[in-house]
Amino acid sequence: MLLTAELVPAITSAGASARVAAHVAPRFRVGDAVLIRNWQPTTHTRLPGYIRGKKGIVEKDYGVFAFPDTHAHGKGEKPQHCYSVRFTARELWGEQASDRDSLRVDVFDDYMDPR
Amino acid sequence: MNGIHDLGGRHGLGPINPEPNEPVFHAPWEGRAFGLFAATFVFAGYTVDEFRHAIENMDPAHYLESSYYEHWMSAFENLLTKRGIVTREELDAKVAALSKEPN
Repeated sequence: MLLTAELVPAITSAGASARVAAHVAPRFRVGDAVLIRNWQPTTHTRLPGYIRGKKGIVEKDYGVFAFPDTHAHGKGEKPQHCYSVRFTARELWGEQASDRDSLRVDVFDDYMDPR
Repeated sequence: MNGIHDLGGRHGLGPINPEPNEPVFHAPWEGRAFGLFAATFVFAGYTVDEFRHAIENMDPAHYLESSYYEHWMSAFENLLTKRGIVTREELDAKVAALSKEPN
């Protein structure tokens, strides 16, 4: 398939979106307390190292997307929900961090467990 | 992968200095690199995740020393040579030819 002029607006405005139209049940709801898995693949992942093993709260459900860890390697979309999860600065960076700051990270269903 | 790209929480890399009135592209080649994403994404049929992984697979020292769109160019080279759309020899020959031209 070749890039034609008609395709350009959609691709440049939406990027190469990985949103999937499939209906998949979410594993979590807004407000749920979660524990991020200590997942250390040698392959592609969108799970940053600094949140592994950390506790957070689900703040928003973005909907269903292709799972990067499989999608990057030709192993299928494995569609699942992606959420905004909030972590306190102290949970991530220790006691020297501000007790007022927090950080939100986009986290897929397969990266976390309930706690 | 626990690669050099995963910089969150690293110390010693200096401040982030936002550029006032930053242009969309800093040089004409960056705009062409942006266009290459759309063209090769459609033509070569990779996923955005495969594209990101190609950047993660850059040599770590080169990754830290190169710019955003240089990362993109490395990914295109990686993805297109892997698929046999461009050979490494063709790339090297083109780079050698272009390096002899005035900018």
